[in-house]
Amino acid sequence: MAEGRPDLISAVLYRDPKAALAWLEKAFGFELVFLVEDAEGNLGHSEMRFGAARLMVGGEWSDDHKSPASVGGKNTQTVHIQLSDGDLDAHCERARAAGAEIIVEPATQFYGDRTYRCKDPEGHIWTVGRNVETVSVEDMERRTGLKITGQV
Amino acid sequence: MSSRVVVALRIKAPPVRVFEAFTREIALWWRPNSLFAFTPRSPGVMAFEDVEGARRLVERLASGKVFEVGKVRVWEPGQRLVVGWRQATFAPEMDTEVEVRFEAVEDGTRVTVEHRGWDSVPSAHVARHTFPDSLFLRRHGEWWRDLLDGLALAAADRQPGTTGEGQA
Repeated sequence: MAEGRPDLISAVLYRDPKAALAWLEKAFGFELVFLVEDAEGNLGHSEMRFGAARLMVGGEWSDDHKSPASVGGKNTQTVHIQLSDGDLDAHCERARAAGAEIIVEPATQFYGDRTYRCKDPEGHIWTVGRNVETVSVEDMERRTGLKITGQV
Repeated sequence: MSSRVVVALRIKAPPVRVFEAFTREIALWWRPNSLFAFTPRSPGVMAFEDVEGARRLVERLASGKVFEVGKVRVWEPGQRLVVGWRQATFAPEMDTEVEVRFEAVEDGTRVTVEHRGWDSVPSAHVARHTFPDSLFLRRHGEWWRDLLDGLALAAADRQPGTTGEGQA
């Protein structure tokens, strides 16, 4: 069965991208699907798979491509993992055991998802969610006082 | 043999079946790529030959000639396969190697191809088509990705109880 590639793929940059590939597999269960390494063992290109999604993992290949570890821990984008099955809390414990810093512990949100937030060893922030309750827009508005337009 | 390309794919068939498809049915799913032709007369028909236990991967050309791509170095059905990989233009000291791992996962097999040793082929060699190293390896990896897509179709197609069974 041919696996197509999704229309949108995040590329995440690390000082040590090979260590990141191993960590992302251990912490989040991502699977390596594509890797190019040169004669010196430098990573040229890599992709991981999670469900139908893909993630590129790369090094700091230009002056404008930096890991948070090289810019004082700052993130300008984060990647969100939306679980379609499995237990959110167990996912969090697996990440913690792999060395993730849990910056917000699992909690159920007004929109019906249970979520947590963590940092990987180089300081990338990851958010993780799992739907646990179907909540109508009316209920979301009642719970928050917000006016909600559109629905995901 | 440090430079390498790794490509992996999940296939909905058990490891023994995927191994069988990879080896016995290679002619059915192989997709020749003119950038990476084994010989100037390619493409031919790919096959794993077994002559009194001496296994090798060959390309049978239309002329009747048989080009040996490489000898099988490891043959562990359902688990692991390692085979040499040479093009006709390679000098004696040039050698690359393909390792294929078949790992059971909950929904079938995770098949991983690791093609290594391209650092034994100089950057100016005709096989590299003047591509920079990383681009050459990436193109080669993309070809392996196409090949595994073909393998996946072939491996899933002939499983007992699937609709592919018995069809031409």
